[in-house]
Amino acid sequence: MHLSKPIANPLIVLREEFDDWAILFDPESGNAFGLNPVSVFIWKLLDGHHTVAQIVESIRAECDDVPDDAQDRVIAFVQDLLDRGLARLQDGDREPPCG
Amino acid sequence: MQTPKSMDISITGECNLRCAYCSHFSSAGEVARDLGTGEWLRFFEELNRCAVLGVCLSGGEPFRRSDFDEILRGIVRNRMRFSVLSNGTLIDEDTAVSIAATGRCDSIQVSIDGSRPETHDICRGPGTFQKALEGIRALRRHNIPVTARVTIHKHNVHDLESIARLLLDTLSLPGFSTNAASYMGLCRHNAEHLQLSVEERSLAMETLLTLAAGHPGRVSASAGPLAEARQWLEMERARQNRAPGFPGAGYLRSCGGVFARLAVRADGVIVPCSQMSHIELGRINRDDLREVWRGHPELERLRRRREVPLGEFSFCRGCEYIPYCRGNCPALAYTILGEENHPSPDACLRRFLESGGRLPREEPVFPAGGETG
Repeated sequence: MHLSKPIANPLIVLREEFDDWAILFDPESGNAFGLNPVSVFIWKLLDGHHTVAQIVESIRAECDDVPDDAQDRVIAFVQDLLDRGLARLQDGDREPPCG
Repeated sequence: MQTPKSMDISITGECNLRCAYCSHFSSAGEVARDLGTGEWLRFFEELNRCAVLGVCLSGGEPFRRSDFDEILRGIVRNRMRFSVLSNGTLIDEDTAVSIAATGRCDSIQVSIDGSRPETHDICRGPGTFQKALEGIRALRRHNIPVTARVTIHKHNVHDLESIARLLLDTLSLPGFSTNAASYMGLCRHNAEHLQLSVEERSLAMETLLTLAAGHPGRVSASAGPLAEARQWLEMERARQNRAPGFPGAGYLRSCGGVFARLAVRADGVIVPCSQMSHIELGRINRDDLREVWRGHPELERLRRRREVPLGEFSFCRGCEYIPYCRGNCPALAYTILGEENHPSPDACLRRFLESGGRLPREEPVFPAGGETG
């Protein structure tokens, strides 16, 4: 997964608010998901050019007090986005194993 | 919010009906011309850039537009969902098919004011009851979420139980909302013949509370007799118990609409609310929506009304309900008094009681033991 290049689903609306939090809105289902500022940062890097590992490096470069398990957390977050159809992997990337 | 979360858009000022209490006609929202398709489609692109999540299409009658399907496609293309406020009479099978195909419809609200033609058509015109029911049935056949709006007036206030049976039992709608004919638009010219008397208002409150208790979650209101009954009973209970003031009460706290959404008239003028269409904030495709939202002084004035204490108004002087009152609808305050930043006299509990109004004997939704007697 850490070498995969996720891409945000272009149909999904990122609605940012003044406090750096945001919601992701799926107009097809009407579902909305809250994002904290780090999740917003990650979402903006889901462009099909950044691997998960590079995203983690960007977080370490931009944020303070990044936990040691940041990569695991980012992978879990991206997996959640994939499961919900909010993102997909770049063509050619292998789907991560389930579970 | 950096931008409005949703927009109320009057896509046409035209309507096939002239309902006697219509808030649109004879208001500032009644404009000379509708915008063309291209202008709406361009505006939807701006809404997309602003991350607006949904639009509510109204009029006039939205289904009057021959380009309605194209407008829906523009909404879908720009990542939004939509709802529609309609009189229902122009909705046919083709309309329902088009709406269903989008997969983005949150609801179609159809106005139903009676359980039979006599009580519905009296304000809306002959034949409208049957056509509206046909419209609802067409929508239901295609699994489109339908709600009904019942506007209560002198001629249907005794029909409310039957209306509920029609909507909830016969038509199996998930619910309906209620309001009362308000002193806006055409109703201002017909108020004497349409608006509820104090006695009728008391009756409507009691009937609606009973219906709401008998159909949990299926009868709703954000204004009008049901909303007032709930709010006023709570206020009266608090006053009797000398309870601490309600959060945010004691100021012109209603309503919060200007913090979440804006409206657009059929001519493309941006306004704070479709009921306050006299306050012009800009024009679509000419003025930047984000800038209007963040910085227009008139919008700011409306947002700051929640800092205005009710105690400042001679209208409220000596009122024991001030700690529990939020001043109510600014649009009604404007149509009655010519001033938005004033408590609405129409929704004043003290005034209602002084005029001989009575609160329902009990509020079924409150837990037992909350009130004695």
